This record gives sequence, C-alpha cells and structure tokens, in this order.
Amino acid sequence: MNYANLLSWSLGKPKIVYGVVILLVALTLAMFPRLQIDTDPENMLSSDAPARVFHNDIKTKFVMHDMVVVGVVSNDSIYQAQHLQTLNQLSQFILQFEDVISNDYLALDVVDNITQEFDAQGNNTGIKFSYLMKNAPTTTEGAAALEAAVKRLPMLENTLVSGDDKAAAIYIPLTSKDKSYGVAEQIREFADTLDTSLEIHITGLPIAEDQFGYEMFVQMGVAAPLAGLAIFLLLWYFFRNLPLIVAPMIVAMATVIIIMGSLIGMGFTVHIMSSMIAIFLMPIAVVDSVHILSEFADRYKKGEDVNSVLTQVMKHLYKPMLFTSLTSAVGFFSLLLTPIPPVKIFGAFIGSGILLAFALTVIFIPVYISRMSPAAIENLHNAVTRLEQKGILSKVLVALGAHAQQKAKLIIPAFLLVLGLSIVGISKIVINDNPVNWFKQDHQIRVADKVLNEHFAGTYDAWLVFESAVNNQQQIQESLHINLQDMQKQGLDVSQIQAHLRGKGIDQELLVLLDDLSFSVDSEYSESVDTMLQLVERELNERKVFMQPEMLDWLSNLQAALIDSGMVGKVNSITDIVKTVNRELRSGNEADFAIPESANGVAQTLLQYQSSHRPQDLWHFVDTDYQSALLWLQMTSGDNQHMNAVVTWVEDYIASNPAPIAVEADWAGKSYLNVVWQDLMVSGMLDSLLSSFVIVFLMMVLLFRSLKYGFLAMLPLTFTITMIYGLIGWMGKAYDMPIAVLSALTLGLSIDFAIHFLQRLRELRTELGSMSQALTQMCQEPSRAISRNAIVIAIGFTPLLLSPLVPYITVGFFLASIMVVSALVTLVLLPALLILTDKS
Amino acid sequence: MNTIIKGLIASTTMLIAVPAVAEQLSAEDIIRNANLASYYAGDDGRAEARMLIVDQNGNKQMRQFNILRKDVADHGQQNMLVIFSRPTDVKGTVFRVEKHVEQDDNRWLYLPALDLVKRISASDKRTSFVGSHFYYEDVSGRNPNEDTFELQTASDDSYQIKGTPKNPDSVEFAYYQASIDKSTFLPMQVIYFNEKDQPMRKMTVLKTEDIQGHTTVMHSKIEQLSDGSYTEMQFRNVSYDLGLPDSVFSERSLRTPPAKWLN
Repeated sequence: MNYANLLSWSLGKPKIVYGVVILLVALTLAMFPRLQIDTDPENMLSSDAPARVFHNDIKTKFVMHDMVVVGVVSNDSIYQAQHLQTLNQLSQFILQFEDVISNDYLALDVVDNITQEFDAQGNNTGIKFSYLMKNAPTTTEGAAALEAAVKRLPMLENTLVSGDDKAAAIYIPLTSKDKSYGVAEQIREFADTLDTSLEIHITGLPIAEDQFGYEMFVQMGVAAPLAGLAIFLLLWYFFRNLPLIVAPMIVAMATVIIIMGSLIGMGFTVHIMSSMIAIFLMPIAVVDSVHILSEFADRYKKGEDVNSVLTQVMKHLYKPMLFTSLTSAVGFFSLLLTPIPPVKIFGAFIGSGILLAFALTVIFIPVYISRMSPAAIENLHNAVTRLEQKGILSKVLVALGAHAQQKAKLIIPAFLLVLGLSIVGISKIVINDNPVNWFKQDHQIRVADKVLNEHFAGTYDAWLVFESAVNNQQQIQESLHINLQDMQKQGLDVSQIQAHLRGKGIDQELLVLLDDLSFSVDSEYSESVDTMLQLVERELNERKVFMQPEMLDWLSNLQAALIDSGMVGKVNSITDIVKTVNRELRSGNEADFAIPESANGVAQTLLQYQSSHRPQDLWHFVDTDYQSALLWLQMTSGDNQHMNAVVTWVEDYIASNPAPIAVEADWAGKSYLNVVWQDLMVSGMLDSLLSSFVIVFLMMVLLFRSLKYGFLAMLPLTFTITMIYGLIGWMGKAYDMPIAVLSALTLGLSIDFAIHFLQRLRELRTELGSMSQALTQMCQEPSRAISRNAIVIAIGFTPLLLSPLVPYITVGFFLASIMVVSALVTLVLLPALLILTDKS
Repeated sequence: MNTIIKGLIASTTMLIAVPAVAEQLSAEDIIRNANLASYYAGDDGRAEARMLIVDQNGNKQMRQFNILRKDVADHGQQNMLVIFSRPTDVKGTVFRVEKHVEQDDNRWLYLPALDLVKRISASDKRTSFVGSHFYYEDVSGRNPNEDTFELQTASDDSYQIKGTPKNPDSVEFAYYQASIDKSTFLPMQVIYFNEKDQPMRKMTVLKTEDIQGHTTVMHSKIEQLSDGSYTEMQFRNVSYDLGLPDSVFSERSLRTPPAKWLN
C-alpha cells in the first residue's frame, strides 16, 4: 500500500486511526511504573567490556567498595575532645544502618592502633594492638595522644584525618549504592541535630550517582512537561488557535509516551541519556505537523473539500518530510555504532521516535484536520494569514536575505574565518566526564567534593593492580601425579586429591588434602606424602611474590615516586602495613620503618598485623596467595586528563624501573573506567558522525538528483557542527556524554532546514526562472517557516536552563545555539553560495 | 561391643543423673562446667591444630600449629604454648600465654625470621587469632566473670544460655546465646548478636571425640554471618595428662620449642 492509498483509507476510517493511537499510548503508558533509573557510569561500558570485567574482578578479589565519604571539617584542629566526640557520635549513628558493610567501614573509632609498649622504667617491652579511638578522648591530652598516634599510622594519615589536621573522614561501604541517597539524607538530618561548629560534607561516587538518579527522576517529571508547555505557549503565540496547536502537541505527546513506554517495557533502564529522549523528541515531532498545518491553511479556500485539499498538501509535503525524518533518524541511528550501551539505546529509540513521529504526522494530522469543525478550519486559515503578515521577523529575514546576496563575497570569507576559528576551538576541546560535575557548582555534593579534596589526599580512587605470573604448576603437577598413581596402585584412595589437582591445581586446599592424607596413610607412605607436601609448599611459597622484600621495596619506591610526581595525593598498599608493623615490632623509630630483610620476616610481620581487630584489611591490598597486589591511589581530581597522565607516568616508570620479579600492571577503579569509556566515546562518536555524514550525503544526492545540491545540503550541518564544537572548545566546556550526542542532533536538525530551503528554492527557481528572484522570494514565507521552527525549538527548551543538573543545562543551551546557528547558516551561507555559483 | 555397652551404661547413668541435677543447676553453674569442659580437660594437654580460613570469595588459607597447655588450677591460671608449623614462612613462630582469671593475660611472641621476642598486649581479647575468625579469646577461653548469664530454656539434651557482657564497651557484640550439651557441658553452638538482635557470628562444634575420658572438640567452625566467611579448626593427636614439666612453658621455649613434647 503506498502512502496515497493509506491516506485515503485513514481519512475514511478516522475512528480506527484515533483508536490505534489511543491504544498504543495506553499500552505504553502502562509500562511507565516499571521505570528503572540507572546512573552508574560503569554502564557506559557494556557488561563484557574487558576493562569493566577486570574492574569488577578486582573489586571482588580485593573486596573493594565504592564508598560514600562523610567529611567532618573544622576551622581549627580536628584533634579536640569535643570535635572527636561529635565525630564518634556521627560514626556510631552511621554504623547503625543495616546497609553499611561494617567489616569494611572506615572511621577513627573502628580502626586499630599499633603501638609499642613500655614498662615502668620506660623500656620497650612489647607491641600492643588496640582500638584507636573506641571512645573519644575527653581531655586535651587525650586528643593530642590521638593526633600523635594517627601521625604514626601511614594507612590512616591523610585518609581518615586530613594532612592539615582540620578534617576527619568516614568511609561508608554500602551493600547497594541505591541506598546511598537515603543514608546520606539521614546523615544530613542527624548532623543538623548535632550541637557543633563542625561542617559536615557528604561526597563519593555512589552518592553522586544515586542522588543524581533521584534528581534526574524529579527533573524528568518537571523539565519534560515544562518544555512541552513552553512549546505549547510558543505555538499559541504563532497560531492563536487552540484546536490547531493541540494537533502537534498530541503528536509530540504520543511519540514521547510510546517511545519511552516501549523503552521501559522492553526492560531498558533509564540512563541520563535516555532521560533526555522526551526533550529531544518533542521539537522534532512538532516541526512536521507545523509544516502540514501551515501549508493546508495556505491552500484551503472556503467551501473546498477538506479531504481533497489534504490529499494535495500531503502529496506535496510527503517526500521532503520523509527525507527530513529519514536523515534525522539516520543521525541518531548512527549512534548505534558507538560502543557505549546507553548511547546506543538513546540513538535507537530517538531514531525510532523520529520515524514514529513521521508516521503519526502523516496519518494522524490529516485525519485530525479532516475532523475539525468548519469554524475551526476557518480560524486556521485566519491564523496562517496573520502569520503571513509582515512583522519584525519577516523584516529581519528580508534584510538578511538581501545582505546574503549582495555581500556574498564578504560572507564566504567571513564563514571561512569562523570555520577556521572553530577548528582551533575544536583542538582545544578537553574530554572529561566526571559525575560529580553533573551537579552545579553550588550543589551540596559539588561543594563537599571541593572542600574534602582541599583537605585530604583525594576522594577519587584508582587501583593499580600488579599480578605475577610465577607458576611452576606443570612440572610439579607431573611429579605429584606420578606419586599419586603409585599410591593408587597400592590400593590407596587418592581420588579426591587427584580430582582436586586436575580441577583446581595447586593451592592451599591441596595442601590440606595432602596433610589429611599424611595422617591417614601407613608409615610406609609417609615419605612419599611428605615429598608431595614439600613440593606443594615450596611452590606455594615461591608464588608469594608480594612477600618478597625486593618486590615490596620496588612497590614502595614506586609509591614514593608517584607522590613526588605531584599527581597523586596518597598511595595505600601492603608496604605501609608491613613497614608500620615492622617499626612497632622493633625500635619504634623511623629507621625501622622498612621492609624486613627476608620473605619469612614479611610473613611473620603480616601474621602480627592480622592479629588485630581488622585482619581483613590486609586483603584489600594483596590476595591470599600473595600473587597480586593492589595500590590504592587517592587523587584530588577525577578528571580524565589527570588519570591519563597518571597512567602514562606509571607506564614510563615501570619501563625504566622494571620490577625485580616480572609482574603485569593493570588499572581498575572508577576514575580509570571513566578514561576507558570516554576514549571509546570520542572514537565511537567520530565513527558514528562520519558514517551518518556519508549516508545523509548519499540521501541528499538521491533526493535532489544533483551532486551540487547534495554538497550544498551538507554545508549548513557541517558548519553548525564545526561551530558548535568550536564554541565548546573556546568556552572550555568539557566534552562529555551529552555534548557528544549533540552532534547527532545537529546533524538531524540542520539537514532539515537545508532540505526545506533547497527544495523550495529549486521549485521557485524553476517557477521564476532566476536564482536571484528565487532567493528574494525565499526570504518570505519559506524563511519564516524555517526561523519559526528554529525559534520554537530554541525557546521551547529554555526550561532546561533552570535545571539543577548540569547535563540538562548543557543540552538546553546548546540545543538553542544549534538552532540559531543552523538557521543562520542556512539562511545566509546557502544564498551567498548559490548566488556565487549560479551560472544563469 | 565393649564400646556399645560402655555407651549404654553411660547414657543410662545420664538419664538418671541429669534430670535430677538440671533442676538445681543455675546458669552460672552450667557456665562454670562448660568452661571446665572446654578449656581445662585434664591437667595438661597437647594437640595439633589446623585452621582453614575461608574468605567471602572462597579463598582458603591454612595455618597449622601445636598447642601445649598446662593448668595451674582448674578455673584458674593456665600456661600455653602455640608453635606454628605451617605455612612454612611462619614456621617456628611461637606464642606463649599465661592465662589469668583475676588479671590480664600475659602473652609473648617469638618471630624467628626477625629473631625477636616481644610481649604482645591488646586492649581486649577479641582480636583475631592470626587472621582467622577465631578470636584470641575463643582459643584461650572467655573469662566467665566478664558476663552475666541467664538460663533461658533447657531441653532434654541441651541448655540455652544467654550471656550478656558486663562491660559492653569491651566487646563487639550485644549478647550471645550458647547451646550447651547437657551430658558433656560443651557449648555446641554459640551465636553472637548485635544490638538489633541480628546474629553476627556463629560458632558451631562439628565433631567431638572422647579422649582419655574427656569429650573433646575435634572440629569446630566460626562463621562471620554477614559475608559467609568462616574458619574451621580441626584438632588431631589430642592427648591429656602428659605430665608436661613447667619448663616447657618458660621463656626459653619461645626460641627453642620443646621438641620432645611436639610429637
């Protein structure tokens, strides 16, 4: 069935058309309650992306959590009895939450102190493990003693208490980050009841994400309807006719509801990008309807048959509308080429939304008009006539058009200059997406982030993980097999050991099984079992790479060099633990803050460390086989370039200072993951932009059946994209996810203007026989239609500027800029070029 | 055959004896008996112990050591020596403990690789025993004077006793509930609860054995309920009343463990 048949069928069956639309809307609306918000930047990488898989493996292996950080900041020293009491009160309150993982909770009142013990004569007699501050000191001396103790514990200094002594921190691991907003709110509430001069700040990625999700939810409920309202009011301003402007609004609402409902119904989570689908779709959905209404009103004369006029109008508009919709959809579908799941979903659903809006427009709008009362149609006619009257807009457009023709030779160099400047701007673009920056400067999370990073070594984490490849499993396995087979032949049941050896290989459990065997066998086998035990033990010991003093010294040097580089606030690792315990075991003096000389010495030191209240803390830094170690880097910035610089620095360092035992280095942690997906974003966006550019160009050549017009049609979007990104570069605005997808939007909207402009121009030129006259004519109704659309979209989204969340403001601001720039480029550059290249 | 008859006699005796006694036993009496059964069997004793520490990811670590113990008095002072044999990198590490009831214990440590003898002390006894889920106190025995007890229920074969610390600041739990076997007085399960009445930590006896007339725990387990990690402790070669001389528990034994008494 072609479109003409479909149109005549639907004009005859309006109730079916209405019914289908209502049914679709009702069905998809029913999906809305299932909405699930997702704000985890990790999801920017697909769940099987190697960097993400590694990150999560490391998180599990070293039991690392994304933590909410509560900072308690004082004007003077935090080491004062009353401040410390407040801190403890707060900590005790937080520990009551069921969602807090108390094992890994970090605060001054739960961690251990390791100190020397002295007898009455002052002789060093022993070592003591005790809670550092189970109860807050009540005296100045007590507070001073605590200060002295913290200064001797490198694992805590500048992590739990800031280097300037003015702030203390509490690190809260939660069972699920979805709980962090709720927990933070309760902490804030509790903090308000405390009688204290301390400032209490809450930050950390989970809270930023969770709170963003909450505010995004609110935002979606407020901003999208407000944007709809703004569009409605503008349409009202242009058309002053309620039944008329209801039509495009219905198309826009139905499109948004059906698309969002399908997205939710299909089980996709609503990510920050998808939350903007409504905002992106609304203007695109409205624009085509406005074209139909204008043209219908233009052609309709009183007393004519509405349906036949409609059929004529649609015949005329169908092709350009199809092409503008297809090209816009291509722009968004091209986002499917990026490797970033939320962007793919965003692109796919907006692309489909554009096609849906097109379908609704070409079927529903004619049906709607055909059902309008004669009086309403008369009003529509009047409204459009009113629009045709000359106002400021039309005066400006005529002047602009004349200018474009006369000063063509000046305009081209001016555009080239702007293009050059824009390219310089693009070269200045900094790629960076830090979830904390999603909040405005004065948002409590942003403030907390700033304050805490001023005091502490840094609230941004990256984990540098070293893994050793030392493994002599194969040789040993063979000799074990031979031994076991011998025993089997003698009738001993060693099947469990053999199975374990085959399945899991050599590990602690095998040692246990062999040890069991040694007790169950007769003495004639004991030698053989002992041999096996020794083989396995030696192998397990050899694998303990991160117990080797030379390895720990190497790690320690790397840590020191990292700090010296000035890029990293603090590095926590196993070396600090070993050195601290060693110092306290020995003299307690700085000279003994060193790695013991033998691997056994390290092992025995660590055995002591594990005799504390928190033995599990060790396993954040080394695995139980001592084959991999984790360095926890604390940085004051989560910025991409910063993290990249650190990664490069470490690579160079390792290249010039190789580890004494070969190890592989790899990165995990959210700050690092950000770098990974942001790199993918840049390359992915480039791919998607280039491919959609090529497809759209081919479509344009096909549409105009002319290479020249194909090129011309591509010019406005090329200029707009370059200028917009140039502007972003000059403004110093970081290239983040919303900015990245703007290219697709620019492509889709700029090409619309160009298609309408060139299509009309060619018709006029054939009609009038002169390019110059055709261009003059273009300054009338066609230019007004383009400008009106640009204004509707640009102004329609000003409510976004009021948002408390930066990505929405960004999108609102650049959406408006894109509209203005692409309309101007279309109305100024195209005429200038056309007049210069016209051969007639 | 012989054992079955012995067993029958034993259980019959108990059938007659226990109900009569149970009526009179207070919670404190039960705990005193439990303390004796758990930590004071014989006048002295020796055992080989093996710990398997399993973290929440299922990673396993093994620790092996010998324990020598000699009582100065039942319910009173004890001397202990713990000599590590595995993993080999801590082999020769020795703990020497003088357990007191009326004062803090004295503990010493020898680290062979650092050739260092140190006294160790802790603000409390609820620090981990060499990284396991057993606390130092689980190995040496919690002083019954630290808690108040309440006999909640008594079934045919066990007492349910609730222990509440007199000084809540010194421990990480709010109270615990012990299930004590009526016949052996061994606590077969102890669950530690937090202030919100949630179980946090659980000790379970998995296997007991009669050794020289003393029912002895041969295999037990302590679980951290929040993350499923646990430590199993198994004993082997347990024997009592060896006639260990006091010299075995002298400071000299730290550097030179008494080989004669270690199998």
